[in-house]
Amino acid sequence: MPNYQLVYFNGRGRAELCRLIFHAAGVPFEDIRLDHTKGEWPGEWKAKCPFGQLPVLVVDGKMLAQSKAAARYLAREFNLAGKTSWDQARADMFIDEFDDISTEVYKFASEKDEAKKAEMSEKFYNETLPRHIGYLENLLKENNGGNGYLVGDSLTWAGLGIANVYDLLGGTDAPFAKFPLLLALVKRVRENPKVAEYLKTRAQTSF
Amino acid sequence: MPTYKITYFNFRGRAELARLIFAAAGVPYEDLRIEMSRWPVEYKDQCPFGQLPLLEVDGKVLAQSKTIARYLAREFNLAGKDSREQALADMILDHYADIMNEMKVIWLESDAEKKATLVEKFKTETLSKHLGYLETILRQNGGGFIVGDSLTWADLMVVDSNDWLGVMFPNPYDNFPLLAGLVKRVREMPQVAEWIAKRPDTPR
Repeated sequence: MPNYQLVYFNGRGRAELCRLIFHAAGVPFEDIRLDHTKGEWPGEWKAKCPFGQLPVLVVDGKMLAQSKAAARYLAREFNLAGKTSWDQARADMFIDEFDDISTEVYKFASEKDEAKKAEMSEKFYNETLPRHIGYLENLLKENNGGNGYLVGDSLTWAGLGIANVYDLLGGTDAPFAKFPLLLALVKRVRENPKVAEYLKTRAQTSF
Repeated sequence: MPTYKITYFNFRGRAELARLIFAAAGVPYEDLRIEMSRWPVEYKDQCPFGQLPLLEVDGKVLAQSKTIARYLAREFNLAGKDSREQALADMILDHYADIMNEMKVIWLESDAEKKATLVEKFKTETLSKHLGYLETILRQNGGGFIVGDSLTWADLMVVDSNDWLGVMFPNPYDNFPLLAGLVKRVREMPQVAEWIAKRPDTPR
């Protein structure tokens, strides 16, 4: 078993999908959380990072940057990427869509002008998000009538990805209220034994 | 051999990486370019997320340009020789996507004077840093190919980026000799050169 380190800040942010994959697969890893107030970042790490950013995944001392690339690598190593080449592509497709949603959230989350932030947030929750989730709900219906998983017949990192989006949106059912199949899927993923155990003990952080 | 079709607009845009992969692999496909006026009425409903490009493989559909390119690269043995190489190629893809997202914000700026300032600032501060990281990666890999020791879709990403970066920043790799050399070498590979010579000439 290789030695794994995941390096990020003390939050879910762009590292959480990797953490969910490690826990769902039952693979131990060193969950390094750098405290920039103590000079741990940039510290010695920034110069070592391929793009000067976190998270980075370190596998037997070799670095991999970019959160999605790292997550896909782990999913593949732990048989959570999809059983066939086509299934892997379908999972990638959902992950890209979740990334589009997350990018929209980060846009208004980092907006300093409060009035503009409120306006962006409202547009996101009233227009953008329902449109994205509507597509996801339709695609979910195509797979086993929507009572299974997004891809194939078992949990993949795509399922972990939507559960991660649920947390990013505040960890409540409200954004998914009009999309029962998708909400049921999120619950199914969160109730997966290894995932549930992790969620119970995971540190509460502000992001 | 499955039947492949790419549906997009008449641009290089988000479909060109897939087109370059088909070309490098020597695999035929239908390169459907639709008029803006026929979108969304005729095509939007077919698309999993209501967007183009769309890949059809024997009638099954795949959305999201990065996913489409990765699937094709994998099918045509251009994804990387092992799991780590595949991950390194993915890493480079994500890095270019970050650059593109930052450029999109500038592109959408409506005030011409403000936009010109943002473009200049991005070029001298941000872009040179982003491309510098890639030059380092290429140098650390021996300067030949950017991942592994043979052509992968990561090299085609560099070629493609020369075009889309070039829309806002002409000759983007002028100060990055290894990347510039890679772009030139890959563009001169017979199947890639043939595609570049015959592809529709579009502004972006």
